[in-house]
Amino acid sequence: MKMGEVLKRIEIPIALTIIATLLQVLPYYFDIPALSSVASTTTNAVLLIVAYATFVGVISILLVHGKRVQRRSEGWHFSILVVVFVAIMVLTGLPLQEFGLGTNNSIFNWIFTYILTPLGGTTYSILAFFITSAAVRAFKARNIEAAIVLVSGTLMVMGNAPIFTNSVPVLADISLWIRNIPNMATMRGVMIGAALGAVALAVRTLMGIERGYLRGGGGDE
Amino acid sequence: MAFLIQGRVFGLVCLLFIMAAVAYYIKRAQAGVVPKVRRIPGIDAIDESIGRAVEMGRPVFCSHGIATLRDATAGPQTIAGLSVLNYVAKRCVAVGAKIVVPVRQPEVWPIAADIVETEYKLAGKGAEFDPECVQFLSSQQFGFSSSYMGLMMRDKPGANIMVGAYWAESLQLSETGARIGAMQITGTAQTSQIPFFLVTSDYCLIGEEIFSAGAYLTNDAMLIASLAGQDVGRIFAVLLGLLGAIVMTVGSRIFLDLFAM
Repeated sequence: MKMGEVLKRIEIPIALTIIATLLQVLPYYFDIPALSSVASTTTNAVLLIVAYATFVGVISILLVHGKRVQRRSEGWHFSILVVVFVAIMVLTGLPLQEFGLGTNNSIFNWIFTYILTPLGGTTYSILAFFITSAAVRAFKARNIEAAIVLVSGTLMVMGNAPIFTNSVPVLADISLWIRNIPNMATMRGVMIGAALGAVALAVRTLMGIERGYLRGGGGDE
Repeated sequence: MAFLIQGRVFGLVCLLFIMAAVAYYIKRAQAGVVPKVRRIPGIDAIDESIGRAVEMGRPVFCSHGIATLRDATAGPQTIAGLSVLNYVAKRCVAVGAKIVVPVRQPEVWPIAADIVETEYKLAGKGAEFDPECVQFLSSQQFGFSSSYMGLMMRDKPGANIMVGAYWAESLQLSETGARIGAMQITGTAQTSQIPFFLVTSDYCLIGEEIFSAGAYLTNDAMLIASLAGQDVGRIFAVLLGLLGAIVMTVGSRIFLDLFAM
C-alpha cells in the first residue's frame, strides 16, 4: 500500500482522536508528571494548529468574496470592502514591530476600536428587536403549553418592572418563585441530561465508535 | 494510591461506571440485542425540511454552532452538530439540494468542508461540489451572526438546520429564519438559548437530544446501544441526587466525604 493511501485511512484520525482524548482525560485524574508533560505539549501543539487554521479562514474569505467580485454577483461591492479590510487588518497586524506593525499599529487599532467594536455592539443591540418579535410570536395562547408560557412570561415581565411591583408587591415574589422553582428545576434537569449526553459522546469518541464528525460518517471510502 | 488526584476519584469511578455500561450494551448489540430508541420528532423532520427546500427550489442551510472543538462543554455540541451536518449533506446530495454551511471557527472549517465534499464524492458527484458552499464568515461572534443573517436574507433558504452551541446570536439567526419562512430545526445544550430556539423554530432538540442525534440518524446498532448505556448513567445520577438530598437532610456528610475522595 502506498504512503498516500495509508495516510488517507480513516483509522488514523480515529486513533489520533482517541490518543488526544486520553491525553486530556488521564492527567485530570492521575498525578503522573510525565503524562501531564505530554498533555501540556499536546495542548500547545493544538494551539499552534488553531493559530495556523486562522489562515484557512482568511483564504476561505478571499476565495468566496474574490469570486463574488469576479462574477459581479449581487452585492459584489460589499465583497470588495471585505477583501480590502481583510488585507488591511492582516498586513497591519503582522507581528513585525520593528516596522511599526502588529496589534499596536495605529491603523489596526483604529479599525478595531472605531469600526469592528461598534459594529459588534450594534449587532448585539438589535437583539432587543428580535426578542420583541420573538415574544410576539411566542405570546399567543394557541394551546395549554403556550398559555403557560404567556402567563409566566407576563408575570416575569411585570415582576421585574417597578411600575407594577410598586403597586402590587406580590408580583416580585411570584416572579422570583417562577425563576427559582419551576424554571430552576427544568434548567437543572436539562443541564444534567446534557452533561450526561456529553459524557456519553466522549465515551463513544474514546471508544472510537462515534464517527459522525469524520468524512462519510467514518466509513471507508 | 498516591498517583490519583484527591477529590477526583469519585468522578473517575462514575466515568468508569458509565463506560462499563456503554461497553456492556455495545456487547449486547453485537449479540443482536439492540435497544429501542424513542422517536425524536425534530430529527425525523430533517428529511421533511430538506424535501421542502427542494420543492421550493431553495437551498438548505446547516450550521454546527459557533464553538470550537476544544471547549469542554461546547466542544461536544460542535461534534454533535457535525454529525447532523454529515447526515444533512448526505440527504442534500441524494436529492439534489444546494447546501450552505456557515462556519465561525477556522479550525472547524476544514472538517465541515471535508464532510460535505466527501458526501458528494461518495455519491459519485464529486465534480458538483462547490467549495463556496462551506463558508467561513467571521470568527467574531456578531460578525458571524450578521453575515449569516445576510446570507439568509439573500438566499432565502427553504430549511435552516442549526444544531450545536450557540450564544446570543441564536435568536437573531432563528428569528431571521422564521421571518423568511424557512422550516427550522434547531438544537442546543446551552440552557440560556433553548427558550429562544423553542419559540422561533418548528422543531427544537433540547439538551441531550443533540448528542443522540448522530446515533439516531445513522441507526448504527453500536451507537444506539451506547445511548442505553448513557441512560444507565442518567439513572445513576438521579439516584445519587435523591440519596444526596436524603442524607444531607438527615445531616450526614457521607456524600460530601465521598466526593472529596
